[in-house]
Formats: sequence, C-alpha cells, structure tokens
Amino acid sequence: MRYLRLYGQFLKFSFSRSLEYRLDFWFRIIMDCVFYFVEITIFLVLYQHTDLLGGWSLDQTLVFVCGYLVVDAVHMTVFSSNMWWLPIYVNKGDLDYYLVRPVSSLFFLSLRDFAANSFLNLIIAAGLLVWSILRLPGEISAVNLFWYLFLLGNGVVVHYTMQMFFEIPVFWLHTNRGLLNAFFSSTKLGERPDAIYPTWTRRILLTVIPFLLIAAVPARVFFEEPSIELISLSLGVSAIMFLLMVAFWKLALRSYSSASS
Amino acid sequence: MFVNLAVQLVVLWALWTAVFAESGKELVGEWDLTGILSYGVMVFLTGRVVRGGDLQMAVASEIYDGSLSRYLLYPLNYGVTKYAQQLGNVFPNILQSIVMAACILPFMGSSSSVDLHVTGLLMCMPSLILAHLLFYIMGLLPQLVAFWADNVWSLSVLMRFITMLLGGATIPLSLFPEWSQGALAILPFRYLFEFPTLVILGKVSVNDWLTGLLTCAVWCVVMSLLVIPVWRRGNLRYTGVGI
Repeated sequence: MRYLRLYGQFLKFSFSRSLEYRLDFWFRIIMDCVFYFVEITIFLVLYQHTDLLGGWSLDQTLVFVCGYLVVDAVHMTVFSSNMWWLPIYVNKGDLDYYLVRPVSSLFFLSLRDFAANSFLNLIIAAGLLVWSILRLPGEISAVNLFWYLFLLGNGVVVHYTMQMFFEIPVFWLHTNRGLLNAFFSSTKLGERPDAIYPTWTRRILLTVIPFLLIAAVPARVFFEEPSIELISLSLGVSAIMFLLMVAFWKLALRSYSSASS
Repeated sequence: MFVNLAVQLVVLWALWTAVFAESGKELVGEWDLTGILSYGVMVFLTGRVVRGGDLQMAVASEIYDGSLSRYLLYPLNYGVTKYAQQLGNVFPNILQSIVMAACILPFMGSSSSVDLHVTGLLMCMPSLILAHLLFYIMGLLPQLVAFWADNVWSLSVLMRFITMLLGGATIPLSLFPEWSQGALAILPFRYLFEFPTLVILGKVSVNDWLTGLLTCAVWCVVMSLLVIPVWRRGNLRYTGVGI
C-alpha cells in the first residue's frame, strides 16, 4: 500500500513536469507515432513479396508487431526515463539520496519518473493492437486473448529486466554507452516472428537472452492453443531472469563507492 | 560494434531465408537470397560511415549550455567547423567497416544479382562522401530547432527513423510498392544509404552514378539553403545562457 501511494505521487509529479515542456511533449508523441509507422511499414513491404512469414499471415504478424509496440510503449512510459538517469546518478554520486530512503532503491530508481508524454503513445499503441486483433479472420478465443495480454505484461517485465542487465555494469565500468547500444541493437531480435529463427538460435532467444518472450511467444500462444509448455517457459524464464537481476543489483550496490569516497 | 553486426547478420539471415523459403521464389524483386544478404551487410557497413557524421545532440547541447558563444566569436563558419569536427569521428567508423567487411565478405557466396568489384568500390567513395555531407546537413536542421524548443532529442530520433526507412537502410527501396517508387526517387533519403550501397554492389551504371552524385549534391545545396535562414533566425533568439 505504501508503495502504491508512493507511485501515485510519482505519477502526479511526472505529469506536472512533462507539461512544463509542451513542445517536447508533442515532439515525443510524433516521434513514437513515426516509430510505429516504420515498424508496421517494414512488414507491409515484406508481405508484398510473401504470403507467410514464420508461418504467420499479414494479419497475424500485425497483431505480433502491435503487441511489441504496446510493450515498447509501456516500457517508454514506465521505465525508460529512469533507465536514462541511472548511469548519471551512479557516476555523480546522486544514488546516495535513493539508498538512504526507507523504500527499495530498485523500486524507487526504476519507477520514479513516469513519462506522461509516452502515456499518450501507449494509448495509441493499444488502439493499434485492438485494430490489428479486430482484423483477424475468424472468432477470437477469450482464453487465448487472456493469455496473450497476460504474457505481453510478462514481456514488459522481461524487457525491463534485460535492459537492467545492460545498465547495472555502470557501477564498475562508469560508462555503459557501448552496452546500451548493444542492448538496443539486440532488441531487434525480438521484433521478428520467432519461427524465422533456426532451432538453436530460437532456443537461445527463448532462454539465455529471451527477447522472443517479449512479444513473439505471446503472439504464438494467442494464435495457437495456449500451450502449458510455452506459458511455463515464459513465466519461469522471466522469474529467473528477474531474480538474477535483483541479485546483480545487490552485488552492484556493494561496489558503489559514492562520489565523494 | 560486433554485437550490432552479429545481431544484424542473425536477423538478416533468418528473415530473408524465411521470406525466400515461404514465398517459394528464386528472386524477390530483383534480388536473389545471397544478393539481398549482401545488400543488408553492405548497407549496414556503409551506413556506419554515413552516420559517422551523426551530430547526435552536440549542436543542441551547445545552444542549451551557452557554449555556442565561443564559436560565434571565432572567424569561422559554425556549420563548417562542426562538420570538420564530425569528419574526425568518421575515421574509426571507416576502419571498423573495412575490418568487418574483410571478415564477412569471403563467406557471402556468389550471387547473380550483385557484382562486387574494385570499380564499384572506387565509385562508391564519392557517393559516400556526398552521403555523409547530406546526412550531416539534414541532421543539423532538427538540432537548430533547439533555439526555440527546450528539448530536441525526439526530433533527432524521429529524423533517424525516417532516414533509416526511406533511405533503404532496413529494406531495399526497390521492394517498396510500385506506387511509392516515384516519391522515393525524388526524396533525398535514398542517397544516404541505398545509393552508395547499390554502387558498391555494382548495380548502378556509370550514367546513373553520375546522375545520382549530381542529385545528391543538389540536395546538399537545397538543405544548406534551408539551414541558413533557420540558423540566422535562431541566432537572433540566442541568449548565451551559461556565460
């Protein structure tokens, strides 16, 4: 309850701050809309030359892409600004202020800044997802839809966890620009249907660097019968990754020397 | 760098192998599988050189923190000075691209749709120089909006998304629908990534190459003419904060 109240305060503060920079507020919305347009256009062009990709029709792929856009929009809204600030806090010693507070430092640093401008994009991305689902021929099973949305939520956690793995080394390296570039490049692996990858690559992308759990596996569960195996794999891998990330965070905090020491 | 390349290779190979397998075609557009993979690799490598002039937030930061003031006192043109600085950034990218090309190209196999040879490489150099200049000038425009707006990061990113898609960095422009080809040919974006790549792959005749170079040069002039009034108007608003 205390954490929910605290998050409510974060939201209020973030909305009032983002409205201070109104031009930037609209620039960011346009930027994300262009990103959505680009992502969808790539597949529209590809489907000019094939009827299926990774076993999916254009309608199915649009659901997959729009699902990815929703996960990305949630990430941009909830976590992205906080991830941006983390290396700066570590290097300037500002992390001290967060470590002495009577709440989890990981919670505070991951959720403090809510990007209100991206929230509008989240609504747009959700609208695109609804549009793409309504385009699907045939009836939509409520059970499949439930698992799809649930696993997309899990995809948000996977996305956040994976980025944290690339952020945390800043405690030792003092700059993680190269690592973050590597992370953003690697996210491309999750922006394509899972079935296009050869078996071993797919296995690695489902377990070791689980980018396929972000949107591709949820989409597969949605289009096929919900498979206990895939759902358990998704939830199990994301839980293990999250726990490993928390342990990594605690280890990193032990190496934090603050700016003045 | 190598992670970027590895991801690019995995995605390219998986995606296009799937497209060719599932469509059952030998040629997609005018490309065979090896040809389109070569395009993907080469556009990645040439793109690194072209984007070597990426200003990122350098100009906007100088406007925001007031460090632009010292450049205004120098007896030099600001745009030319910044370009000279950016040119210095390109050389590590060129070196990296050459190393990566040397590692990958021997494994690419032969293709009926591309023809890699020394002439293409030589013809590509002026195309890359002009593409680099055009990319710099196009990147300058959103940065100068910093004279009016509090944050232009999103504008720069937006420009990157547009140039990557319409410049052919993601998919060859010849695969776009027929109705869009006229517009894509007129716009300046294709000269950033697709044109130098097609030149190096031997897919551009000497006449088309010369026309392309001339068109790219004209776009550089047009974009410069757009930048100049924005710079002048912006200068009038500049307050030198931070001095």
